[in-house]
Amino acid sequence: MQEKKDATFSYQFPDGDRRLAFSRQSSFRHWDPPLPSPSPSPSPSPSPLLRSHSFKPYLARSDSTVGMPLLEKPGQKDATWVALILAAVRGVANGSRPMKRLALMISLNVAYSMIELLLGLFTGRVGLVSDAFHLTFGCGILTFSLFAMGISRKKPDETYTYGYKRLEVLAAFTNALFLLFLSFSLAVEALHAFMQDESEHKHYLIVSAVTNLLVNLLGVWFFRSYARVNIVYWKPEDMNYHSVCLHVLADSIRSAGLILASWFLTLGVENAEVLCLGIVSVAVFMLVLPLFKATGSILLQIAPSNIHPSAFNKCSRQIASLEEVLEVSQERFWELVPGYSIGSLSVLVKKGVHEDRILQHVNGLYNDLGIQDLTVQIDYK
Amino acid sequence: MPPSISLVLSNSLPISLRAFSRPRGSLNSFPIDSPPFFEAIFLFSISSRKMERHNSPASASHSQVIEVNIDIDRDASKFPLISNPSPTSNNKACRGGTCDLSYSKDSPERWDSMRKLVIAVVLCIVFMTVEVIGGIKANSLAILTDAAHLLSDVAAFMISLFSLWAAGWEANPRQSYGFFRIEILGALVSIQMIWLLAGILVYEAIVRLIHDNGEVKGFLMFAVSAFGLVVNIIMALLLGHDHGHGHGHGHDHGHGHGHGHDHDHGHGHGHGHEHTHDHGHNHEHEHMHSHGHEHQHEDQDHEANTIPTKHQHDHSHSNDMKESLIKKGNKKPKRNINVHSAYLHVLGDSIQSVGVMVGGAVIWYKPEWKIIDLICTLIFSVIVLLTTIKMLRNILEVLMESTPREIDTTQLEKGLCAMNGVVAIHELHIWAITVGKVLLSCHVIIAPDADADRVLDEVLGYIRRDFNISHATIQIERH
Repeated sequence: MQEKKDATFSYQFPDGDRRLAFSRQSSFRHWDPPLPSPSPSPSPSPSPLLRSHSFKPYLARSDSTVGMPLLEKPGQKDATWVALILAAVRGVANGSRPMKRLALMISLNVAYSMIELLLGLFTGRVGLVSDAFHLTFGCGILTFSLFAMGISRKKPDETYTYGYKRLEVLAAFTNALFLLFLSFSLAVEALHAFMQDESEHKHYLIVSAVTNLLVNLLGVWFFRSYARVNIVYWKPEDMNYHSVCLHVLADSIRSAGLILASWFLTLGVENAEVLCLGIVSVAVFMLVLPLFKATGSILLQIAPSNIHPSAFNKCSRQIASLEEVLEVSQERFWELVPGYSIGSLSVLVKKGVHEDRILQHVNGLYNDLGIQDLTVQIDYK
Repeated sequence: MPPSISLVLSNSLPISLRAFSRPRGSLNSFPIDSPPFFEAIFLFSISSRKMERHNSPASASHSQVIEVNIDIDRDASKFPLISNPSPTSNNKACRGGTCDLSYSKDSPERWDSMRKLVIAVVLCIVFMTVEVIGGIKANSLAILTDAAHLLSDVAAFMISLFSLWAAGWEANPRQSYGFFRIEILGALVSIQMIWLLAGILVYEAIVRLIHDNGEVKGFLMFAVSAFGLVVNIIMALLLGHDHGHGHGHGHDHGHGHGHGHDHDHGHGHGHGHEHTHDHGHNHEHEHMHSHGHEHQHEDQDHEANTIPTKHQHDHSHSNDMKESLIKKGNKKPKRNINVHSAYLHVLGDSIQSVGVMVGGAVIWYKPEWKIIDLICTLIFSVIVLLTTIKMLRNILEVLMESTPREIDTTQLEKGLCAMNGVVAIHELHIWAITVGKVLLSCHVIIAPDADADRVLDEVLGYIRRDFNISHATIQIERH
């Protein structure tokens, strides 16, 4: 009765039937039969209480994927580069709307940075080259985000028993890390400008900054619903989109800062570069910090942040108050992705107690909190 | 009858009673601040009578000495002295407390790694100040950029040091798995920095190419990067130096001693060994005798752990059995993942120094072949990136909660299904906190008439014995 793990990579519906295109429940996971989900608890936790085992809630907005059936047999795996690229393109074409937008942005950025690099090399302007490098790094990170979006819909398989959703969190973390590096490097640049005290009017950089700003503002518009600093994450994609949005936002702030600095310089304000770069650096840092903390805490397996620790205490006390239960120990909870929490605990019971009742009770209690996946070890005294 | 180990405890052991001051099993209580070892000793002194009744042979009791015999498959791979008053719940040890989810306070491996890193940091800072002073005096940008690279080295070491230090924090209810993951994240940050630096170096090469107004002195580049190379090689030797040193044995020896005298868990570093990628299955009885002998030798040779060895002879026996159940990986070089990532950083820097040296030599020799510099830098940057791929793959696998490479899931499933009483298993999840610490959770469906406790015991024992997975949570269901 081992759970069937499907190792194929398919973007289609489980049954490949386009007549069900309106249905948005395309990625239910098939776990064991749903445990009795009692009435919603009065706890103020924001976790959706009515979904028991799926990653996504019903009627998720971004769930409108209509998958075209794959043209090749799913079992095949050719490692040729052409096939990989084709698969990637097809994946993006079939992907969700944010994926397509992200792909568009990345291609714009790549094209732009290529042009900038070549121009800089041929005309010998260092500023253009460094800007191109910056952009390329950013594009690399965004491509990783895109890749994570695509891969994360695979079903769990032998090696990745929890599925691929974690990759989105990882991509968000990488984005946040890159933004932190960016803020740090901007601070270093500001320091550099302060020490050097030479205000080179790099006029050609203005054009590139303006173009950069426009492209990034387009990106911000695409992901405008995530353009906030503190967001409650309901789904793993939330983190990814948020990180992408922050990325383009930070880039646009940086370009705006450069434009502002050169404008101030023409106005004759002293040390304008230092000021602007410093402000931009601090702004990007403050922008990124909540995302960094949230993704970091998921990757570090900190207890789910949307559940108050007193709720855990309450649950464990409730279990311990059952007459057959002697002790509850080793409660460990962690979040796989935002919205899906996993836990394990160990319950010491009197001898001869039938475990089904206890299992049901414990699972019901923790399901209320939002812990979808619980492993309970029952020890008999 | 499974072989039993006998551990002789002398009456002069200090036993701390603080272990019992905390309430059991409540989420509010933070784990004890004294190691569970004391609790174990105390429990043993209480329950030794019961033990003797259950474990038949060889339970002699001396007049002055409490002798305890335990069955080998009771958690002997980790902490052979823990037991519960109830005889059947053998394998569900590690009640409360933090087990080995954090380094013990005086784990030698941890201090060793920290010491190495601190020495490397100090060296780095010294060299960096030398270079900065030299660069300011000679008014050369190249030297200053090299000093900046050393600064990045220092940053990487700081990250590793912090991870090592943080791993010693006790787990708390919010962070229930301890702080070992910080190592992985720190290593990820380090590797991102390596990539960033490679990019910066390529950018600098391009800048050198563009600014061809003769201010690039090939000789200076060559000299500076040669100096940087020497520095990096010294640090690489320092960090990677326990390649064949046999520290592994030394530490396990400390482990053994810990049980006798110096009151450290030993488990912290027993498992700390498994911080490397070379984490093989344990082959149970191969190393039994050899380990015993090697322990004897190391006991005498190893200066670092000269703790009075009252129980030498018994150590060899107990270490025999224990070693046979711990991983066999002692033969391969064991490096802490933090030290390893710092080592990678230094290695990458030295490779890049070689690249810059070659470029500098070329420019010095033939100043018109500037493009060679760029090509060289590109090639060496790619080499550096390739060295980081293996570690990056490991990091990614741990962060994605995937099944560690060294665990053979098919064999595990087969072995579990083959036990009597077990009908099927499902929802098997095996994942690692850091490279080497593996956890497992599973739902086991048993026959309606089977004894749940016995099956649980067997399953846990099997998992601990054969795969050395220390934390397993099994949910038994009947259908």
